[in-house]
Amino acid sequence: MFAEFDLVMPSGLDEALDILAEAGGDGGLDVLPLAGGTNLVVDLRARRVSADKLVGLGRIAALRGIERSNGRVAIGAGTTLSDILRDPGMAEAAPSLVESARVFAGQMVRNTATVAGNVCCGSPAADTVPPLLSLDAELTLTGRDGSRVVPLADFFLGYQKDQRRPDELVTKIAWDAPKPNSANLFYKLARRKGDAITVVGIAVTVAAEAGKCTTARIALGAVAPVVKRAREAEAMLEGEALTPELIEVAARQAVEESSPIDDVRASADYRRHSVHALTRRLLTQAWDPATVGG
Amino acid sequence: MTETESWANVNLRQVGRPLARSDAPGKAAGRTRYAGDYTMPNMLHAKVLRSPEASARLRRIDVSKARALPGVACVLTAADLPDRKASTDIPGQTGKKKLATDQQVLVKERVRYHGEPLALVAAETQTIAERAAELIDFELEPLPGVYDPFEAMKPGAPIVTAPDNVVGQHKVRKGDIAKGFAEADEIIENTFRTQFIEHAFLEPEVGLAWVDENDVINIRVATQVIEHFRPIAEAVGVPHNKVRILGALVGGGFGGKEDVTVEIYLALLAQATGRPVRLAYTREDSMFGHGKRHPFVITHRTGFTNDGRITAVKVTITADSGAYVFLSPYVLLYATVAAPGPYRVDNVHVDAVAAATNNMFTSAFRGFGAAQACVAHEAQMDEAAKALGIDRMELRRRNFLRTGDKLVTGHPIESAVWSDECMIKAWEALGERTPDAGPVKVGRGVATYQQSYGRITWLHDTSEAWVGVEVDGSVVVRSGVTDIGAGQVSALGQIAAELLGVGLDDVTIYNSDSAVTPLAGTTTATRGLYMTGNAVRLAAEAIRGRFLARAAREFGVEPGEVDLAESKAFLVDRPDTSMAFKDLVALCASEGVHRSELVMFRAPFTGQIDPETGQGRVHPDYAYGAHAVEVAVDTETGEVTVLKSVGAHDVGQAINPDAVAGQIEGGAAMGQGYALSEELCYEEGRLTTPSFSEYLIPTAMDVPRYQSIILESRSGLGPFGAKGIGEPALTPVAPAIANAVADAIGVRVFDLPITPEKIVMALRRAEAAE
Repeated sequence: MFAEFDLVMPSGLDEALDILAEAGGDGGLDVLPLAGGTNLVVDLRARRVSADKLVGLGRIAALRGIERSNGRVAIGAGTTLSDILRDPGMAEAAPSLVESARVFAGQMVRNTATVAGNVCCGSPAADTVPPLLSLDAELTLTGRDGSRVVPLADFFLGYQKDQRRPDELVTKIAWDAPKPNSANLFYKLARRKGDAITVVGIAVTVAAEAGKCTTARIALGAVAPVVKRAREAEAMLEGEALTPELIEVAARQAVEESSPIDDVRASADYRRHSVHALTRRLLTQAWDPATVGG
Repeated sequence: MTETESWANVNLRQVGRPLARSDAPGKAAGRTRYAGDYTMPNMLHAKVLRSPEASARLRRIDVSKARALPGVACVLTAADLPDRKASTDIPGQTGKKKLATDQQVLVKERVRYHGEPLALVAAETQTIAERAAELIDFELEPLPGVYDPFEAMKPGAPIVTAPDNVVGQHKVRKGDIAKGFAEADEIIENTFRTQFIEHAFLEPEVGLAWVDENDVINIRVATQVIEHFRPIAEAVGVPHNKVRILGALVGGGFGGKEDVTVEIYLALLAQATGRPVRLAYTREDSMFGHGKRHPFVITHRTGFTNDGRITAVKVTITADSGAYVFLSPYVLLYATVAAPGPYRVDNVHVDAVAAATNNMFTSAFRGFGAAQACVAHEAQMDEAAKALGIDRMELRRRNFLRTGDKLVTGHPIESAVWSDECMIKAWEALGERTPDAGPVKVGRGVATYQQSYGRITWLHDTSEAWVGVEVDGSVVVRSGVTDIGAGQVSALGQIAAELLGVGLDDVTIYNSDSAVTPLAGTTTATRGLYMTGNAVRLAAEAIRGRFLARAAREFGVEPGEVDLAESKAFLVDRPDTSMAFKDLVALCASEGVHRSELVMFRAPFTGQIDPETGQGRVHPDYAYGAHAVEVAVDTETGEVTVLKSVGAHDVGQAINPDAVAGQIEGGAAMGQGYALSEELCYEEGRLTTPSFSEYLIPTAMDVPRYQSIILESRSGLGPFGAKGIGEPALTPVAPAIANAVADAIGVRVFDLPITPEKIVMALRRAEAAE
């Protein structure tokens, strides 16, 4: 119930990065970045995680803000789920992300939890990750010595393992806004509608030209150690017209690419069933002529 | 009843109106002080150390490191408490104790459930108390346990409660069951399973205890039952008059604060340290800290004629009592009486048993066994309707108990039975049917019920109240009643205001203090209004009678010609002839007319029922009503959305219709969780769903706009003909939802909760069978 740690609240990014870098240097202190805290504080209080020091990112202005230019969308790491919902351009710039924000936890959590924090918590059930994968999002990782850009698809290395070094912060998430003649959808399946941990979360992107699918993305949440793309299912769709038969085959392939487990929320069997049903449903909805231009 | 005659001429002015409850402003403004908001100087903070094993032997416990930690005032283990037992005396009772209900306060040797307390710590701060608890070194030797009531009753099973793990048994034998089934054209038999659930009140258990200058152990605690001072006193070894329980407004009870929770730990620590001690459970502590709803396995066999008349009912109930007895035998009795449902059945056979296991102990929970029984009997009616080709409501209508009928126990029903009226109203309120949309299928369901109000009649229930009028005309009510959020206190104010002709604001109520408020009995069993309302009514009526007599003398008329209202005494036929209430009170005061009254209201007292046949009187009376719902089921994912949810209940007389609607809406939400999402999972007795992240109560996003319909037969045994609504509001909800889901998808899920996964599996099985 109780955890003790130091909290520093730097107002500049450089200061935050210095603290993280120095902690790595002396080898003794466990220093963790704190964004919205809706996972970390719970874990600290339950003593699932311990830290000597937390670096609160809430005062760093450089991490706030949403930018759009030339079809590129970039959100600062401080962007909350509520920011996503309030931004008037986001419905076009990331329909699946807006849907995931809508069904994300509850209002109080949405007001403080950040998209970057959700990505970095490493949960396979993180709701914003399938949408961001379906949008081919890239993360900017910044340390004291500079920045690097990593595709989200390469970011996760395994269950709760990712490419971020302890002295780095995710500072930006960016993607290309969906093209015309495309659809970008997300569905969260959970045991209840509010404040629920996802049982299966699926995002798809389908872009079409002249009646053929040019780009397909299928991102599967909560059915593997990490959120992952069903790349072979995607490959089956690209270059083809999405007939009900092909959608069925691709949905079954998506199941093959999942590796769910039994847990307190659902069985692996039900999760496989739902990957199939929801992939089929979302691809069918995405292939609507009104959206992809038939 | 003769007691209801005296109010027959009262023209109701306060009762029956949706007045702003007396507890509302404080709650709305955040001023209300709950038990956890009280602190004292020099106060210690407590922590309970619990067993991580469900079945084990405590080989060793060493608290020396914990005691040595600076800031630790006290660490107690069983070794410090020779012979201390917590008895599950039936709350508020006057002495007769059941057999084999005693529980060790702290584990001496045998751990019987996951979470059983091993040690108590009191320290200067909460953090130190937690650290000290972590420093306690103990060794548990795992022992074979039993985690299923059927296994527990087999020969050779590990014994949790001597001699044979059977902790409760009830029977009904009525008519000729063989003949009944022989006369049946159609026999429907199904087995239903219900789950462990958590009360999930907003306010976890909390209390503050101190020993005063008279050696009285005072405990300010969130409880439904201040009468627990008796078992607490016995557990800590002092006379009953040396323990005082002070309540506070309670943040939800639902039966989960009906048993003793933190009180004995607080009393022991305060006794040992001589300092005030506060103990506040976290949500996770609370999951281990009070008994759960009993999981039931119910096999229900019902015979019908082709025209839909029930010829026979045979019900077998097996309940998991968990590691201690608590109220299991009584929960089981309620289930036994409710088993056939609100229907006329001549041939009935019920066998009910509760067995001890190494699961979490189970005890009181809103609906108290009748809720589980309702899950089975209402599903049976729908399954029978389908098999017989008769409309579901028509089938119920052909079998409903009617006013004047006898219960399955042979006792005549004391009040009106308005099941049909309620069912019609609830169903009609669903309005136009929502259409199906692709894989999303819409279904509707209704459920009716029979739920007792008032406690078992051989427990000889009583309630005392004191009403007094100050010389300035303001009114004081003293009642021990605990207010668990339903407006129990405000209702008493409305009753007193009604009878004395003053406003609700003119009444101040002192409640929930075993030292200064007359003992009102428990806020449980849907008895609060029935019992405490009647006690306040009787007390206020006595004063009213004296005031009317004095006013009549002043006016030169007979008392029957005078009435009290709007803070005046006046002539019924000539309201202009009046005097201010405060002037009348001043006159009475100057002449020594007694302006206060202490009364005891007694429920019907009976002996026990016949144990072999279940015949006799069990409860004072029963409530009847219905709940109807419309749901949408996504047949691809199994997700259920409750679209409409309507409760229609005959409450006898609503004292405050807004408070009644609050109960109906709360019951609808709680029942929805019971039906669809809530389940405490135990693996070999270990709780695997210990927080609100895994234990899923409905959120605001999950519930529709609930509708409440209040019917008033004015036939109940409560004040002004009231019945009760606390438990009835919940009981039919889960079965109505189960029936709606079955209606939507054409197959039934027999085990609660009806999760998306179970729906998908049921549809898959049905498809495979085709």
